[in-house]
Amino acid sequence: MLRSARGRVHRTDLALSLAILALVGAGFYLCTTFEEISPLFADSIPPEFFPRLLLWVIGALALLLPFEHAFRSRRGDSGLEEDRRDRVRPIAYITFAAALALVAAAAWLGTYLTLVAICFALPLLWGERRWVPLAAFALGFPTAVMVLFTQAFQIYFQPGIFGLSLN
Amino acid sequence: MEPVLEGLGLAFSLYNIALVMAGVLIGVLFGALPGLSSPLAIALLLPFTIMLEPVSAICMMAALYCAGTFGGSITAILINAPGAPPAVATAFDGYPMARRGEAGRALGLAAVSSVTGGLLSLVVFIVATPLLAKVAVSFRPPEYFALTVFALSMLASISGRSSLRNLIAGAVGVLISTVGTHLGTGIERFTFGFHELTEGVEFVPVLIGLFAVSEMLVQSQAADQALERIKSVVVKLPSREDIRRVAGTVLRSSGIGTFIGILPAEGSTVAAIMGYNEAKRWSRRKDEFGTGVPEGIAGPEAANNAATGGAMVPTLALGIPGSGTTALILAALIAHGFRPGPYLIQETPEFVYAIFGAMAVGNIAFLVIGLAGAKIFARITLIPRTFLWPMVFGFSVIGAYSLSGSFFDVWVMLLSGAVGFIMRRHGFGAAPLVMGLILGRMLEETLSQSMIMYDNDWLRLLESPIVCGFFALAILGLAWPAIAARMAARRSRNLK
Repeated sequence: MLRSARGRVHRTDLALSLAILALVGAGFYLCTTFEEISPLFADSIPPEFFPRLLLWVIGALALLLPFEHAFRSRRGDSGLEEDRRDRVRPIAYITFAAALALVAAAAWLGTYLTLVAICFALPLLWGERRWVPLAAFALGFPTAVMVLFTQAFQIYFQPGIFGLSLN
Repeated sequence: MEPVLEGLGLAFSLYNIALVMAGVLIGVLFGALPGLSSPLAIALLLPFTIMLEPVSAICMMAALYCAGTFGGSITAILINAPGAPPAVATAFDGYPMARRGEAGRALGLAAVSSVTGGLLSLVVFIVATPLLAKVAVSFRPPEYFALTVFALSMLASISGRSSLRNLIAGAVGVLISTVGTHLGTGIERFTFGFHELTEGVEFVPVLIGLFAVSEMLVQSQAADQALERIKSVVVKLPSREDIRRVAGTVLRSSGIGTFIGILPAEGSTVAAIMGYNEAKRWSRRKDEFGTGVPEGIAGPEAANNAATGGAMVPTLALGIPGSGTTALILAALIAHGFRPGPYLIQETPEFVYAIFGAMAVGNIAFLVIGLAGAKIFARITLIPRTFLWPMVFGFSVIGAYSLSGSFFDVWVMLLSGAVGFIMRRHGFGAAPLVMGLILGRMLEETLSQSMIMYDNDWLRLLESPIVCGFFALAILGLAWPAIAARMAARRSRNLK
């Protein structure tokens, strides 16, 4: 049961609310780090005014989050819970980590090889084990895309350390 | 008359018709594939259209928008997996009809209702846009500020799991729009020393991240999911009996859809659900809904496609997006150097008429392409997700990179994807954030200009009756979910 004993506060939403409030706090702090404005602009709205106004709004709305559940339950609407009933599967984290690693390597590998790596690594991660279609996809798709974009749209792609590009 | 002819001439040039057809094909394809959607398609396409003529690029996207809304219904009917949220209501009766062995009839009804709704809404679009722009041209910064507040308040009643979360997402979007140099003073805000952020956060990588990368992360968890398919599909145009039966529903739903589309922030999904509910409410066979009745398909389909034409009205006349997808079209307009709002139609009227022409061609094209190719589009769902999503990610990387030839944008895209994934899991929609991001600058600029006009006296904002009107509508927009819930509760009590 996600709710507290009183049934009014939704624990996940409470954590979410606290996380948003922490970010709002960080935002307020960042607003204090803006440069001083020149006296020439003394009459205009200061640069921190609007972000602070928004942070107040976000903070106030976030305070309502833990109690929203009680209101929604009264209306018999629990669709929100469906979205987060199941735990996030590890494959989502692994996919994101792989995406980060591939993009981090992109400047070194170059765009073409990065695409080849994406088209090989992601299907493999997701359980694809038909090697012939996988190899055809990993080579065919990036080549087709690169030829199209370099020739038709004249986009320059980084060749990477191997100097491999279709520019 | 000259701008009308010039605009239609632009839309009907061979080059633009080819692009419109390409837009329709991409739209139906993206609409048909569960997980892919027209906003995602536009987000992915946007960086590549920068190289096209602005009119051609926007015409292509407008046609894609219409076709994508219809495309979702193909898989909703054939495999009970709505390709896009606006097609959710179509599945209620479309799939049961298909399971009865009448998939072709269901597809035919969906296509004809969609086209009728789309074309009727275009009539409203072409009449209302210049009129609304004529009114809006007299707006000063305070009126624009109030209009933007009203548009953002409508996020409370936009479709999604929670009004509160939509509002938070919208406010976060506005906050992100403050990144970069403050126009009033030249002070940098939230740039963290990255020179790439001094002019603000680029829309495109954020859009690609929110729509494509976050969806890829969602789909990574369902890579082995199997879908039940209807095998025999012989598409049939509706019979005279079917047309007679659904004519009233189509007309009513077209009106509802157009009106919902015109409301800022409200899009095709809300329109489709209202179209379905109204079709049921007016029907003499209420009990048969959900078992595969023609009205249950015609109602949502006419409404969701009518919303596309309606949503273009505030987008082009006011610079306020009428839906999540038009928010992306608005981003494209800005990226192409246009100034969306009343001056767009004053300065380049032919452009608006060209969009009208492109959407009309798009509507007719998807009737042909959708009907002729329904079998093929249904087969496209056979593409293994293990290949489809890496393809989408590959396009995302290239799209984000090619915008300015910098991997910084690719990192922004990845970060936005992770944020989008977390947001979706907790009920925060991507569309409200995009709305906030796009309207944020206008909100801050008009507020600053209003304060200069009124010597920082906030109360003087209320001197304008238009401002008061928009603020009243904003309050109504914020309160509407609670009012609607109360009304629904009262209705269900009365039924008991």
